[in-house]
Amino acid sequence: MTGAARHPMKDRVAIAAASTTGFVAQNLDRSHASLAAEACIDAIRACGLTREDIDGLCGSWPSASVMQSTLGIPEITWSGNPVIPLVDHVATAAAAVHAGLCEVVLVYHAAYRAAWNTAAALKDPFRRIATPGLSDPQPGPETMAASVGYAGWASRYMYEYGLAREDFGVVAINSRSNAARNPAAAMRGPMTMTDYLGARMIREPLCLYDMDISVDGADAFIVTTAERARDLALPPVLINAAVLGQVRHNEEDQTVSLRNHGQQVVINTLKAKGDFWIDDIDVYFPYDGFTPITLNWIDNAGWCKPGEAAAFLRDHWDEAAGRVLINGRIPVNPHGGSLSEGATQASGHIREAVHQLQGIAADRQVPDARRALITAGGFFFNAQGLMVHRV
Amino acid sequence: MSIEVSNEGLVQRFPGELLTHDNADHYRGRLRHELLLNLCGACRVWHAPPRPVCPECWSDRVLATPVTGNGIIFMAIFLHQGPPAAGVDYSTPYPVVTVELEEQDGLRFTSTVVGARNEEIRIGAPVRLEWIDRAGTPMPVFALRNSTS
Repeated sequence: MTGAARHPMKDRVAIAAASTTGFVAQNLDRSHASLAAEACIDAIRACGLTREDIDGLCGSWPSASVMQSTLGIPEITWSGNPVIPLVDHVATAAAAVHAGLCEVVLVYHAAYRAAWNTAAALKDPFRRIATPGLSDPQPGPETMAASVGYAGWASRYMYEYGLAREDFGVVAINSRSNAARNPAAAMRGPMTMTDYLGARMIREPLCLYDMDISVDGADAFIVTTAERARDLALPPVLINAAVLGQVRHNEEDQTVSLRNHGQQVVINTLKAKGDFWIDDIDVYFPYDGFTPITLNWIDNAGWCKPGEAAAFLRDHWDEAAGRVLINGRIPVNPHGGSLSEGATQASGHIREAVHQLQGIAADRQVPDARRALITAGGFFFNAQGLMVHRV
Repeated sequence: MSIEVSNEGLVQRFPGELLTHDNADHYRGRLRHELLLNLCGACRVWHAPPRPVCPECWSDRVLATPVTGNGIIFMAIFLHQGPPAAGVDYSTPYPVVTVELEEQDGLRFTSTVVGARNEEIRIGAPVRLEWIDRAGTPMPVFALRNSTS
């Protein structure tokens, strides 16, 4: 790998605002575009901009052309529709800003309960239409492809390190305890280890509470130059480093090992490009689309030795709050993560990081939070990292 | 080899599979009960899934070649729910395993295990290749080499 330290974009681009509709685990009588539009309008207003200021658009669904038409944005000079998770969108938008293709990008992500995800969504005719490929012939169950792969690697994680289901449960309980303080979260009721162990098994060894929750809702962000962001209404959150890490063996069943996949590329690159590391941060956002992803991020980020992440979380458990506080001060996914806030493909993690650094995280606010680390995505072809700070 | 099924026929035999020019030989092999993975004719390195060139040396002399199907279970999960498939009843959790094959370190193939109780299907267990029929089409599966059932 070359160029790890070449990083002209460092601190030159900022996230100026982040907004959310909040998330619910139910089918709203609304479209994808409706949810995205609400978050977008909110984000534009939050930093004191108008639609005339937006000259770039970046999201996955709906398309940039639909969003532009929906919001009546007069003219844009750049747009992109990268694939999830959302560090891709933020990094791509930031690169476009830094390169001068545009100056103010509206980044959006609408989470939408798809017909292949929940039986309730399957019964909604509009959601069947909105779910691409639903009527295509499907391969059989004998595959580790897509999200099934995380169950496979969960089995491997348990085997290699001699762990039990309770070790995944710690991640789920931490998320739920944090979500109690987040009015945007879909699942806010308390969860005990007994609740966790009693949940319906889906893809053994993973149960219902090991998987993120399908939701309706949206997040939106304003990405612009650090210079422009300084003149806007909210404190600028500077992008210190961003990376989309991937290795050659990126198929779910061919991935070399828990210690050799995209996450290691992310960690090594962030360390090479960024100005701070885990001892310096105030809040940590490891992805939690599935609980084993979170444990492996904690291992790979170097908080502990390989396989010790669950023990690490227990060692840093705040009994009174029922959640993790690393070294008594660093919360882990304080918004409740994808497991409890909702399956946002990390838009929720990034939004909460922005709010924490802007000092507007309400009951969840980490005192004087200055630096955040987001390690998004999984193992195979979507491991991503983002370091943001307020200077 | 001259009477092989056409591309059109192959698609009909494997509904739902994403057939391409790169993996068609693998699926043709299934029809004659051969598990074929790609072996490079230049550098002799195996790879999976099938790619149009050898990812190791970029030779285009990649050839779908039989493997023994002997290997060790590398990952094991049990589906309590899943996509509909002929002969699959999720009332008993359905095993799906990734097997590391004996031909090369890290060369793996994913399928189910037949003829074993779920408690016996463990990471590290040695397996061999078997064939079953799914809706009239052969499917490669694994059996435990030391099964007690």
